[in-house]
Amino acid sequence: MKATPARTRRWVTAALSVLALTAVTACGGNNGSSGSSSGSADKADLTWAFWVAGSEDQAAWQKVADQAHTDHAGITVKLQGAPWDSYWSKIGTTLAGGKAPCIIGMQSLRMASYANAMLPLDDLMKKYGLKAEDFDKPIMDGLKADGKQIAIPYDSGPMVIFYNKDMFKAAGVADPKPGWTMDDFKAAAKKLTAAGKTGLVTTPGDLGTMSWVRTMTGAEPLADGKLNLTDSKFEQGFSQYADFVKTDKIAPQVPGGNPDFETQQFTGGKAAMQLNGPWSLIDTKGKVKFNLGIAPIPAGPDGSKTYTAGSGFGIARSCKTPDAAFQAIMSMTSEKPLTVLAQAGRAYPARTVAHPVWFTAANIAGAKETIDYASEHSIPLVTSKNWVQVADLLNRFGTQALNGEIPPDQALKTIQDQAGAGS
Amino acid sequence: MAAVNTTVAPTGTSPARDDRPGRRPALRRDGRYASVFLAPSLGGLALFTLFPTAMALGISLFDWPVFGTRSFLGLDNYSHLLHDPVFRRVVLNTVLFVVLYVPLNVVVSLGLAVWLGPQIKGRQIFRVLFFIPVMTPMVANVMVWRLLFQPGGLIDGGLQSWFGIDAPNFLGSSTWAMPAIVTMSIWQGFGYNFLVFSAALDQVPQSQLESAQIDGAGPLQRFRYITWPMITPSMFFATTMTLITSFQVFAQPFILTQGGPGVATQTIVMYVYNQGWQFLTMGLASAAGWVLFVIIMGITAIQFLGQKRWVNYDV
Repeated sequence: MKATPARTRRWVTAALSVLALTAVTACGGNNGSSGSSSGSADKADLTWAFWVAGSEDQAAWQKVADQAHTDHAGITVKLQGAPWDSYWSKIGTTLAGGKAPCIIGMQSLRMASYANAMLPLDDLMKKYGLKAEDFDKPIMDGLKADGKQIAIPYDSGPMVIFYNKDMFKAAGVADPKPGWTMDDFKAAAKKLTAAGKTGLVTTPGDLGTMSWVRTMTGAEPLADGKLNLTDSKFEQGFSQYADFVKTDKIAPQVPGGNPDFETQQFTGGKAAMQLNGPWSLIDTKGKVKFNLGIAPIPAGPDGSKTYTAGSGFGIARSCKTPDAAFQAIMSMTSEKPLTVLAQAGRAYPARTVAHPVWFTAANIAGAKETIDYASEHSIPLVTSKNWVQVADLLNRFGTQALNGEIPPDQALKTIQDQAGAGS
Repeated sequence: MAAVNTTVAPTGTSPARDDRPGRRPALRRDGRYASVFLAPSLGGLALFTLFPTAMALGISLFDWPVFGTRSFLGLDNYSHLLHDPVFRRVVLNTVLFVVLYVPLNVVVSLGLAVWLGPQIKGRQIFRVLFFIPVMTPMVANVMVWRLLFQPGGLIDGGLQSWFGIDAPNFLGSSTWAMPAIVTMSIWQGFGYNFLVFSAALDQVPQSQLESAQIDGAGPLQRFRYITWPMITPSMFFATTMTLITSFQVFAQPFILTQGGPGVATQTIVMYVYNQGWQFLTMGLASAAGWVLFVIIMGITAIQFLGQKRWVNYDV
């Protein structure tokens, strides 16, 4: 048979059509039999998606996963690690496509965006006897959406001030103590700002900004679950926060787009204080060449007020074996792995029983007093569904507000307008 | 159907048709082979370019959240973009980047290529040196430039210790952020066009340049009337490719400034990335993607149409 051009064209068209159809079915098809898992309550091979910072990190967290197999011979958990930034875009698409791994790492600040695709754990907690009171209350609450428990925490912590004891001593400033006020703080920071160094370093990150605003005026970013940044109390608190850089000049100008700037300036000895979470404390202590101290956030007119954040593990709705996944999560957040994590300084454990080990590992005078005090004065930072966008906008427009390029209330209005209520 | 049958029936059966020019068996066989050889790349193009492009056009007509229900919006996403002051600024930023980056890139790379002519010793070493930033991963380049630019960084620290003055907050100021990104991008990107121009300049016959010199033509005249016409095809290639890639700029602002401060350095691709992968609104992301696609297609088409006026393929 001879092939005419017309026939060739028909063949090519047919071949392309088949290819296109294959593409459509490959991309659109979702038969639900994903890589989630298969098995029963006591026998399953599970995958766990989590953020890791490298191969050493991956190995350390795989040990946490192995606790599930130690406790339940039929269950194995394999860690599927991704770097922090790409983790969230990856998990978003896999959760949406119903192809997510069974066990999902979840951070309290981002949970609202993903909660719809996650399984509420309250029934499983009852069934397997996991007690909420064994964990820090603020982070247990921080991992709830619409009153339902979405993830079980492994770490937590209220935002506290890290400070450079050597710089304080050299400037003749007394070490801060729980109960110190905003006036004490500003006086100290002004004394510490000299010779190219600053008393404080700050960036418009969500957790830090919200904590400063809360202690200064008590304002919160959400009202009835909706974004409420243009509230006058919030504007007032944010404006005072921007003044640290703009008018008080106790903190350096903020560069755009460098989330590590605060930590770089502080660990490099260029700034005497920064606001940070206990999850970074042991790591920071290992990096710095000075004596490190911690103190609660200074008290505003209504006392010291801060926010707690943390992370935990939840189950994707698409998971075929939620019972096995929950048992695995119980093992992964049990005393033993959390104690190991605490000893290694990887996380301030969410389980109260593992706290003493962490304080021993941290070996910082007054750390327990400070963190207990801060915990008492903290609430979880509850976020809106569009929080990722809010945090991004805050970073960009907050930089302008802090550097004095635009008025702080204009920055907040732009963020509110751009992000919408985000209920 | 009947009409189709009558026209199809004689095809390939009439011996007279095979005698017509262009229908000879050998050529027909070539065509068959060609389609076999083309199939993999055509398949790839269909699967990885045409299909996603069409799919994106479809998605752009929907409110398509990653979680939750999708609903048909028609052209609402496009009208939202048109009326959104942030997106208008984002388009403006992208155009500003292109307008600053493309001419500067061409001037720097062409200037260095001309300067590093055959008479310069060690030009191969310079060629390698200039090409290193192109080969180095962008993230590594950007990290180094961030250390230069940030407050207390190398530039700021140097100015403070030598002259006692503060450098501008390059990455935190709306005025300086875009020039900082353009500067970094030129340093990173000029090596590629430099190699293209270098190769083109090496093709210009020395004999012609020498005879022009003997006839009394100065260096500028020799460049204008001999070198320039001969390198116009390379110039066309370089400007077209640089223009397309600079409209798609993403990594530099994404890592250096995250699009800030405010929206001062956010570009269209960053906007698409944020809407799609950060805020999980695929409809708006696809619409913005299509806006960029149309802009690039339009400008590339204008370039191809305009090349008759200045590109010289006859030498």
